Amino acid sequence: MNDHDPTPACDLAGDSPQNLSRRRFLQTSAGVATGALVIGMGIPLQPARAAGAAQMAPGTNVPAFLEIRPDNRVRFLSPFNEGGQGIFTGMAQIVGEELDADPESFIVENAPAGHDYLVVFGKMRITGGSFSTRSSYTTMRKLGALARNMLLQAAATRMNAPIGELTTEPGHVIHKSTGQKIAYGDLAKDALDLPVPDPKSVTLKDPKDFRWIRQPLKRLDVPEKSTGKAIYAMDCKVEGMLHAAVQHAPRLGLKPGVVRNLDEVKAMKGVHSVHKLDGAVAVVAERFWVAKLGADALQVDWQEPSAAEKAKIRYMPADFSTEAFTRQLMETKGDGKEAETHGDLKSAFASAGKTVSATYHSQYVHHAQLEPASTLARFNADGTLDIWLPNQAPEQFQAQIAKTAGLKLEQVNIHSPILGGFFGRHFLYPGANPYPQAVALSKATGRPVKVIWTREQEFLRDPLRPMAAVRFRGALDASGMPVAIEAISACEGPAESLNGHNPNKVDSNAVEGLTGKAYAIPNRRIAQVYVKNPTSLAYWRSVGHSMNDFLYEGFLDEMADAGGKDPYALRLKLLEGNDRLTTLLKAVGELSGGWKRGPFTAPDGSRRARGVAMASPFGSEAAAIAEVSLNAAGKVVVHDVWEAIDPGSIVNPGIIKLQAMSAATLGVSQVLMEQVVYKNGEPEARNYDLYPILPPDRAPRIHVKVVESGAQMGGIGEPPLPAVPAAIANAVSTLTGKRVRSMPLDKLSLAT
Amino acid sequence: MQLYVNGQMVEVNSDPDTPLLWVIRDELGMTGTKFGCGLAQCGACSVMLDGKIVRSCVTPLSSVGDAQVTTIEAIEADPVGQRVVEKWIAHQVPQCGYCQSGQVMAATALLKENAKPSRDEIAAAMVNLCRCGTYNVINDAMLDLAGLGANKGETL
Amino acid sequence: MKKILFTLIAIVLVVAAGLSWYVTRKPASPFDAVAAVATPSPDLIAKGKYIARAADCVACHSVPGGKPFAGGLKMGTPLGAIYTTNITPDPKTGIGKYTLADFDRAVRHGVAANGHRLYPAMPYPSYSKMSDADVRALYAYFTHEVAPAAVADKPSEIPSPWNIRWPIALWNLVFAPDTPYQPVKTQDAEWNRGAYLVQGPGHCGSCHTPRGAAFNEKAMDQGGKLYLSGALLDGWYAPSLRNDPNTGIGRWREADIYAFLKNGRNGHGVVFGSMLDAYNNSTQFLTDADLHAIAHYLKSLPGDPARDGKPWAYSATAVADLAPAKRSSVPGAQTFAAKCSFCHQPDGKGQSPWIPALAGSTSSLVPDAASQINIVLNGSGRVMANGMPDSYRMPPYRAQLSDKQVAQVLSFVRSAWGNRGGPVTAKAVADLRKKTDPASPQVIVLQMR
Repeated sequence: MNDHDPTPACDLAGDSPQNLSRRRFLQTSAGVATGALVIGMGIPLQPARAAGAAQMAPGTNVPAFLEIRPDNRVRFLSPFNEGGQGIFTGMAQIVGEELDADPESFIVENAPAGHDYLVVFGKMRITGGSFSTRSSYTTMRKLGALARNMLLQAAATRMNAPIGELTTEPGHVIHKSTGQKIAYGDLAKDALDLPVPDPKSVTLKDPKDFRWIRQPLKRLDVPEKSTGKAIYAMDCKVEGMLHAAVQHAPRLGLKPGVVRNLDEVKAMKGVHSVHKLDGAVAVVAERFWVAKLGADALQVDWQEPSAAEKAKIRYMPADFSTEAFTRQLMETKGDGKEAETHGDLKSAFASAGKTVSATYHSQYVHHAQLEPASTLARFNADGTLDIWLPNQAPEQFQAQIAKTAGLKLEQVNIHSPILGGFFGRHFLYPGANPYPQAVALSKATGRPVKVIWTREQEFLRDPLRPMAAVRFRGALDASGMPVAIEAISACEGPAESLNGHNPNKVDSNAVEGLTGKAYAIPNRRIAQVYVKNPTSLAYWRSVGHSMNDFLYEGFLDEMADAGGKDPYALRLKLLEGNDRLTTLLKAVGELSGGWKRGPFTAPDGSRRARGVAMASPFGSEAAAIAEVSLNAAGKVVVHDVWEAIDPGSIVNPGIIKLQAMSAATLGVSQVLMEQVVYKNGEPEARNYDLYPILPPDRAPRIHVKVVESGAQMGGIGEPPLPAVPAAIANAVSTLTGKRVRSMPLDKLSLAT
Repeated sequence: MQLYVNGQMVEVNSDPDTPLLWVIRDELGMTGTKFGCGLAQCGACSVMLDGKIVRSCVTPLSSVGDAQVTTIEAIEADPVGQRVVEKWIAHQVPQCGYCQSGQVMAATALLKENAKPSRDEIAAAMVNLCRCGTYNVINDAMLDLAGLGANKGETL
Repeated sequence: MKKILFTLIAIVLVVAAGLSWYVTRKPASPFDAVAAVATPSPDLIAKGKYIARAADCVACHSVPGGKPFAGGLKMGTPLGAIYTTNITPDPKTGIGKYTLADFDRAVRHGVAANGHRLYPAMPYPSYSKMSDADVRALYAYFTHEVAPAAVADKPSEIPSPWNIRWPIALWNLVFAPDTPYQPVKTQDAEWNRGAYLVQGPGHCGSCHTPRGAAFNEKAMDQGGKLYLSGALLDGWYAPSLRNDPNTGIGRWREADIYAFLKNGRNGHGVVFGSMLDAYNNSTQFLTDADLHAIAHYLKSLPGDPARDGKPWAYSATAVADLAPAKRSSVPGAQTFAAKCSFCHQPDGKGQSPWIPALAGSTSSLVPDAASQINIVLNGSGRVMANGMPDSYRMPPYRAQLSDKQVAQVLSFVRSAWGNRGGPVTAKAVADLRKKTDPASPQVIVLQMR
């Protein structure tokens, strides 16, 4: 237990470095030594190359995914990375179901880069967009079925029995009439030699026969994560490794000039070397703490880039402030480009009984995942590069790293350890990933180098969830029912910020949550006015929905108030005929003990109110009710959040419930306290001290009901978030009588 | 300098102001104790010194002296720690897991001090941050450990 | 009647004329007839640089990221903000055209070359004690080593009529000494050297001596009982540097003072607040002999038991309040346990010398809680000792703790472990919160070249 052995942990498999945690897990749980395990269905030593050669349809090359070991344990290489969302377990359930192998016997690791793993709609691979399960569900079931078929074929030969007479029970092939029974582990070697059958030749189980899918199976990664054995990128180490810390330029785009105390820092005990990098200076040392102090100590003259250089990266000007930028967005004029339009807005407003208008805005937020970014890079004698880094898209990183390092694609071995939280943080973002630094430093030193960003350096480069100001106006008929709504968002979406702005197109990421609302408001117009941000932008859990549903649902409550309607009753009315959402809204009402808006006096004497909101994100549907009060300091206390979530159909209800609690909590955190503030071109907060995230004493009780409508499967990692900030803000508006039109609530003066 | 870590004496040579966290991670090669903020804000680096919870990122090596350091690597060697781990698994507490070494240490330290903490004591002691929002489930596991029964809420 | 009136008018006119002459005159300088050395020796320049360090010119006349000594630091005054000036040898925007005598008048008398009076935010009342030799060296340094920087001074934000400067001359007449330091014959050379550094270039009294109604330091040397007896300035309470065991440095040995000024920390505390700037930019660069001299001099200043009270003694009573079972019933205890105790320890003793004790610390014992409120709200900047940043910094808690929570946790700290600084009100926290900004988490090194 007392592991004082600092031997390289990520390098146990010699030439083919593997993630440590799975291997060790295996060693301890299987009780055998390393070498004995390399049998089975042949995970190729260079999976990327082997996979590339085959060019089978993604998700069908069974040996690229599965290895069945003599002890009947199944090693599965997941196309999706585990970052707490439970996907490794979900994959084991889905593949195990059709393979007929107990998901508990699975050892799941993240797959290397390769064509075989592009299973998101059969053409790409990201762990994001709440895509994992819904985009690959059928593919991964088929994969399990193909593997089972290969085992059956091998068994047929071994048992000398017709394949049609063979059946399986978990982990075994059975020939009932002869009583023969062979474990998968014994058949795996034979099965390896067989060609993968045509995917069309296998039939999938009838869902009513599911043994594991739809069961709340326990997560496979929980024991390791409860005992400190799980290995994250931060924890990876290899023989001969050096540590590096960086000092980033205070603003993106600045270049390191003279380092005034270069000689002093180089002379520090334990410092290996000091390196000027792109937008940073790095100190390399035998130990991280020495590198960190050295990097802090560097006195760098930061230089302004040339105009040409400014054009290459999102240059942060020295006078940028979020306060001024918020004002700029709020004052942005123009009708914008239409993202969604329906009916006749003009005449609806012309004949309206009453109109309402208001401008709402959101704020920049940090990912603030607890594991700061890090990357370990090692150049090998054969010219290849091994690189360990937190990422949500291995192939995209591989391509970019190959370009950066001047290598061929297949010379770059991407290792994707599990993620210490991600929420959108670990995509490719210019200037926001440490891999260019690790590659450059490893090259320069000729040794493996692990770069760790301290929290301060992380917050300096974390790309942000965009902010938006949305001008709303609404029209009510004589009875107070909304008949028209217009929302014009001044915003830059994360996709257009990364891929380039197309003046003829709306970035759907910028407006989702304003668009796609299910309410039957007959005349509507949703539009975007593009306003370029000086900040780097990113996807953040539930992306545009994370702010837009807050903005829209708040204004909807304003329209309800203007029309003299109860906001819950109004939503039910606007969803008339929509059975799925009516059911969902009623479900959350029931979960909360019946809708009551308040304000009312709670048993403890506090004045409280409730708010309701809905969202339709990532193919799923969500409805939330929140109960709030104000404490003595005038700050919002969220007592309870009730949420009903309908992802259509499900794989693991336990995981769904926990994901809903997780996403809801992040929603609470965002609406109560989160805001990235820039002054003079720099973020004010560099750590959790000035960018607090929700602490346990402000976390509400969260009650989740999973409603399975049977609709097409939607996502689950993100969808439970967007309705929560809106429900809380609406409750606060009711409680205080002051309309909340921005986040975070902690920055507002709410005391009445 | 000599340290007592997980029941063993080890020799370390980091500077005296080096945070215990980095001595544990870099010099002793034990990576179960996590770096999250380096500023005593998050608690991911929590370890026990003589059974009391400390945040190793703000514990200078020179402060450790001859105290017994217990890290997550030895958690199951402690009967209380073993119970905590069992309940963490039973309640399916961790999500991304990055904060959970610290959470488990904090829970163990509390229960070692008081095997039957009240709800208030649990709230007072369990102050580490979790970005995945496992707070409700942590609370359920703690109530279970304290013999207070699970929350009426959402235990799986 | 008429005669009286005429007489009065005549008197007023004469007084006014005299006054007008007085308040606009250029005071005499011993260098008036002296030409500066055209090419000063490297030794003289080096000596001048050392004096610039001792006088901490850079801390006020530079801003992070700006050109050395080009000014621009905003300084709040009750009448409005003023900005420090460009003291580089740039002929247009700096002091390039200053003669040695002009320079002397500015440094020691608070009069600029064009005759206008400097605001006494410039500590010329202290600098007036500097020796002719040191002023000459300082001039050599500023004119021959500091690089000229063309950076125009920013106008002050003091509104009319408060921006009229001539009345300062009258203030100077009353409050600013105008003779260089005179050694005290009854004291030894080390004591006199220490006194010179503390009273003159070190201008310790600017922060540590209480000020009168006219913003004047109530004493300029050991002759006054209030000299260096502790004062509030700019949101920080600079404690007594006299032998007060509680509110001063009575429990410190000379070696502790030396260590504090040399390393930024000792067994009693770590530099923070305004002292952080003084340490980072000034005291650590002084020679050991000078630091020992300062320590020697300070230890000669008697304490005042009437003000200081019974010497503090440690008491462990608060430790029990921090047990999980008791925390929620003792105001401030839960906040202390969750936010403070991991560094400062439940016993309040800190982790010396890296993280200071709160038990028995001066700031826990002085009645004015400004420094503690300020550091809890805003954290502390980084201590940079001998080119190496500190391993531990105090984070700002303004975003996490309400005024009431700060007040409660500080009231807890100030009554725990034998401390008796007295309670803190939420209003005091709210007031300071409005006036202050969080400290930078980054190392800031003000360059001198």
